Amino acid sequence: MAFRSRYSSALNPNEMTWRDKVWQINWGLITLITAVAAIGFLTLYSAAQGSIHPWALKQMIRFGVGLGVLLVVALIDIRFWLRQAYPIYGIALLLLVAVLIRGTIGLGAQRWISLGFIQLQPSEVMKVGLVLALARYFHGATIQEIGKPLFLVPPLIMVGLPVALVLKQPDLGTAMMLVMAAGAIFFMAGVRLWKFAVVIVLGLACLPVAWHFLHGYQRERLVVFLNPGADPLGAGYHILQSKIALGSGGLFGKGYMMGTQSRLDFLPEKQTDFIFTMFGEEWGMIGGLVLLTLYVLLVTYGFAIALRCRSHFGRLMALGVTTTFFLYFFINVAMVMGLVPVVGVPLPLVSYGGTAMLTVLFGFGLIMNAYVHRDVVIGRRGANEE
Amino acid sequence: MTLFPPRRGASGLHTGNDLQANVPAVRIDGVKAGALAVGHARLVAVAVAFGLTFGAIAVRMVDVGVFSHGLGLLYYHASANPTDVSRADIVDRNGVVLATSLPTVTLYARPKEIQNPVTATNKLLSVLPDLNRAKVLADLSSHRYFVYLHRDLTPHQQYLVNALGIPGLHFQKDERRVYPQGDLVAHLIGLTNIDNRGISGVEKEFDKRLRSSHKPLRLSIDIRMQQVVHDAVKNAVTRFSAVGGCGIIMNVDTGEVLAMVSFPDFDPNNPPAPNDPAMFNRATDGVYEMGSTFKLFDAAAAFKYGAATLESKFDASHPLDVNGAIIHDFDAQNRVLTVPEILIYSSNIGAARMALKMGADKQRAFLKSVGMLAPLHFQVPELGMPLYPRHDWRPINTATIAFGHGISVTPLHLITGVSALIDGGIYHNPTLLPVPPGATVPGHRVISTKISGEIRYLMRQVVLKGTGKFANVPGYDIGGKTGTAELVVNGRYKNHDVRSSFMAAFPMNDPRYAVLVLIDQPHGTKATYGLNEGAWVAAPAVARIISRIGPMVGFVPRKPQGTARGPRPASHGHRGIADTNRVSRPAKHNGAGTGRRGIALSSVPRDSSMEGRHVATD
Repeated sequence: MAFRSRYSSALNPNEMTWRDKVWQINWGLITLITAVAAIGFLTLYSAAQGSIHPWALKQMIRFGVGLGVLLVVALIDIRFWLRQAYPIYGIALLLLVAVLIRGTIGLGAQRWISLGFIQLQPSEVMKVGLVLALARYFHGATIQEIGKPLFLVPPLIMVGLPVALVLKQPDLGTAMMLVMAAGAIFFMAGVRLWKFAVVIVLGLACLPVAWHFLHGYQRERLVVFLNPGADPLGAGYHILQSKIALGSGGLFGKGYMMGTQSRLDFLPEKQTDFIFTMFGEEWGMIGGLVLLTLYVLLVTYGFAIALRCRSHFGRLMALGVTTTFFLYFFINVAMVMGLVPVVGVPLPLVSYGGTAMLTVLFGFGLIMNAYVHRDVVIGRRGANEE
Repeated sequence: MTLFPPRRGASGLHTGNDLQANVPAVRIDGVKAGALAVGHARLVAVAVAFGLTFGAIAVRMVDVGVFSHGLGLLYYHASANPTDVSRADIVDRNGVVLATSLPTVTLYARPKEIQNPVTATNKLLSVLPDLNRAKVLADLSSHRYFVYLHRDLTPHQQYLVNALGIPGLHFQKDERRVYPQGDLVAHLIGLTNIDNRGISGVEKEFDKRLRSSHKPLRLSIDIRMQQVVHDAVKNAVTRFSAVGGCGIIMNVDTGEVLAMVSFPDFDPNNPPAPNDPAMFNRATDGVYEMGSTFKLFDAAAAFKYGAATLESKFDASHPLDVNGAIIHDFDAQNRVLTVPEILIYSSNIGAARMALKMGADKQRAFLKSVGMLAPLHFQVPELGMPLYPRHDWRPINTATIAFGHGISVTPLHLITGVSALIDGGIYHNPTLLPVPPGATVPGHRVISTKISGEIRYLMRQVVLKGTGKFANVPGYDIGGKTGTAELVVNGRYKNHDVRSSFMAAFPMNDPRYAVLVLIDQPHGTKATYGLNEGAWVAAPAVARIISRIGPMVGFVPRKPQGTARGPRPASHGHRGIADTNRVSRPAKHNGAGTGRRGIALSSVPRDSSMEGRHVATD
C-alpha cells in the first residue's frame, strides 16, 4: 500500500484507469499487425482473380472484428486473465470433447463445432487456453518447486489431454503446435534441461508406435515429404505444385495478379494454407523476404514485451502466444517450401479463415495486455500483493 | 530496448526499468528472483533459436526463389511441350502432311497402390465407358506391379481421370501416329505398331530415318493427284462391282510416282487386322498377267530387233496354231494387219506372229531390259516378284507373252516399263522420293528415241481409232493401250473373270505423265452392254483422271479444231511437278534435232497427219 502511494495514480501500474491503459497501447505493434493483414487482403484479392469476393472482403471484416477483440483483451486487467486462465482452459477442453462427439466433418477431419452463429474450431481456442493455463500454473512456482518432478505432472496432464484430443480429430499440425508452445513455456519456466532430454528421447522411442496410429494419409504425407517426387500426381502433387509456383516466381515474381500456377488452379488451397506460395509466385523471393521480415518484427515485439514484463504470468503468457504465432508461421512456410511435411496450418493473419484470424488477434491481445500491464505486480495467488 | 517509446507523462522516468533495477523491486519479487533470472537467460535462448529458424527460412526462400528456378520449369516443360514427339512427319511433294505424330498420354496403374479396386473400377468406368469392366477390375485387383489401362487418352479424358483422384493411377507420355488423309494414301504410307515402329509401307522402309531425324520425309506423291486417282478407281470398282483395283500416275521423265492407289483400302487411323485383304497393295505387291498392254513391249522389241517396222504386215486372217495351242483374236478382223492395226484392234495373232518372228531370246532380253523379270527397286517393302517361265521359253510361251499372258508382273512394273518406251527409250527406276529440279535421273537406254516415237504414235492411234476410244479426252493428246487378261482359275483361263486395265500417257507428242488403271474382276453393266474389257472399264477411268489432273498440272486443253498441238505451259504457278520437270529436262524443248526426242518428233507426224495416215492404211 505504501508503495502505491509513492506515485501518482497515472503511474501506479496496479491501479490504472481505462484512460491510462489506452495510452499504453503499443500502436507500433498494431500497425505491424495491420500491415501483415493487408498483405493478406491483397493476396486474397488476387487469388479471387481480382475480386474482393469471396475472400478478401470477409477477411477484412474478420480482421476488423479481431482488432476490436484485441483491444478489449488488451485493456482488461491482466489479473482477470490470470484468474480466468483455468476456466478458459476448461471450456476449451470441453469444446474439444464436444467436437469429437458431435462436430462437423470437413476435409476428412472432425475439427469444427457449430455454436449457432459461428463455426468454431476448438483446437484454435485451446492454443490460447493452454498458454494461459500453463502461464497461470508456473506463475506461482518457485525455482525449488519447478525442480521437483511431481510438480510437473499437472502441467504435463494439462498438455497431454488436449494434444490427445486434437490428435484424435485428427490434426497433426495443431497437436505439434500445442506440444511445442507448451515446451517453450516449460523451458521458460525453468524446467531443467535434462528433463527435456528425457521427454524427447521418450518421444522418439514412441515414434514407431505413433506411426502405427497414424492415418493412412498422414503416413503418405510423411513418405511424400521424404520423397516428394515419388508420386507427383497423387500425394506429392500439393507440395510439388507449391515448389513449382514458388520457384517460378524467381527473384522478383511474376507481378501482382500474374501468378500462373495459382491462377490456373494448379495450386490447391491457394487462399488458405498455401497462400504463401501464391504470394511468393507473384512477388518473388524479394516479396517473400519482405513478408518474412514483417513476421520477424512481430515475433521480436512479442519477445521484447515478454522480456520487459514484470510479472511472471505476463511474461509466460506473452512468450507462449509469441511462440504459438511463430509456430504458425514457421510450420506453414516451411511446409510450402517443402521443409516439413504437409500439415494443415494456416499462415497467421494472411490465410483466409475466421477462427485462426480471431485466435491470432486474441493472442496478440494477450501480448498487448502483457505490455499494457507490464509493470503490474501480481502475487502468487493472483492478487496484487504478496 | 528502444522498441517501446517512453511512457507518456513519465518525463524520462521509466517506471518498469526503475522497479526492476531498484532494490524495492527486487525485494518485492524476491521469492521468484531465481526463477526470473533463469527465465531471462532462457528467453534469450528461445529468441536465438527462433532467430536461427527465421534465418533458415530466409535461406530456403532465397534457395527456392533463385536456385530452384530451373527445377520447377523443368518439371513444367516435360509435361507441356507439345512438339516433343519422336517420329518425323511424312509429307507429300508439296508439304501436305500425310502422317504425323501427336503426343498423347497412356493411363496405367500400379495395382499395389490401388486401395479399393472395386471403387476405382467404378469411377474409371464412369469417365472411360469404353473400358472392359471385368478386365479393369481383374487388372486392378492383380498383384502385378504395372498394368496398362487405356492408351491414347485425349487431354479431356486425362483431365477427367485425374479429377477422379484415384491413387495408383498414373499417366505415361506417349505418342500416336495420325494419318490426316485417312484412306487416301493408306497402302503407300503403311502403318506403325503400338511401339511406334514402322511395320509396312513407307513407315517401315524409312523407319530409321523417321526416328532419327525430326525433318519431315517428303514423298513424290502429289495428294491432289492421289485424290483424283483414288476417286476414279473407287468409282470404277464400285460401278463394275469389282473385287478391287489400282491406279498409278508416274512422271515418265523421272520415274517419280505421283499417285498410287490400291482398292479396297482401309483407314490407317483405325486399321483392320493384318491379314485383311484390304491391307494388300495391288499396285506394288499384286502380280498379274497384264494382257494386251504387253503388246507395246512386243512391238517395241520387234522394232528394236528389226523383226518389224510400222509398215510390216502380219497375217491375222485365221487363228494361229502354235504347236497345238490355238490363239484367237477377241475382235477378229480375219485379214492381214499392219502393226498399228495389230495394236488398234488388239490382235493376239498379230502380236504372237511378231514375237515368234523375233524369237524367244530377244523377247526375253527385251523384257528383262524393261524390268519385267525382276522385283522392282522401290521404297516400300511390299514388292511383288514377277512370275514367268523359268526355263527356256518355248514358242507357245513366246506367243502368249507377246500379248501379256504367261507372264505376271505388278502394275508398277507395267507403268515403269511403258514409261521407258515413251520417254525417248530411257528406263528409270520408279521412285517415291521427289527428284529435285535439275537433278540427273540415272537410267539406261532400252530403245532408240525413234522407236520411242513410234510407240507413242501407236498408243495415240489406239485412243483415236481403236480399243482406247473411251480414254480420249478432247484437247489432250492421250495415248494408251487397253488390257484385258483372263483370270486363271484352277489352271484354266476363265472367260468371264478378267482383269481390265488401261495403260495411258499424255500428252502423246511429248509424254509427261503415265497413267495406269487396273480393275480386278469387273462385271459389265447395262451401260457397257455387259462388257467388262479394259476398253469399257479402265479406259473411262483414265479419261476421268487425265481430264482432272491436266488442268491441275498446267496443261490447257488444245482447241479441238486446231492443228497445232496444245501449248505446253511455259511456266505456271503450280508447286512442283511441271516446273520440276522443265528444269530437270532443259534439253527437251530445244527443238527438233537437238533434243533427246528430236528424232522422234520429226519422224513421227503430228496428230492431224497421223489420222490421215491411219485412214490411208485402214
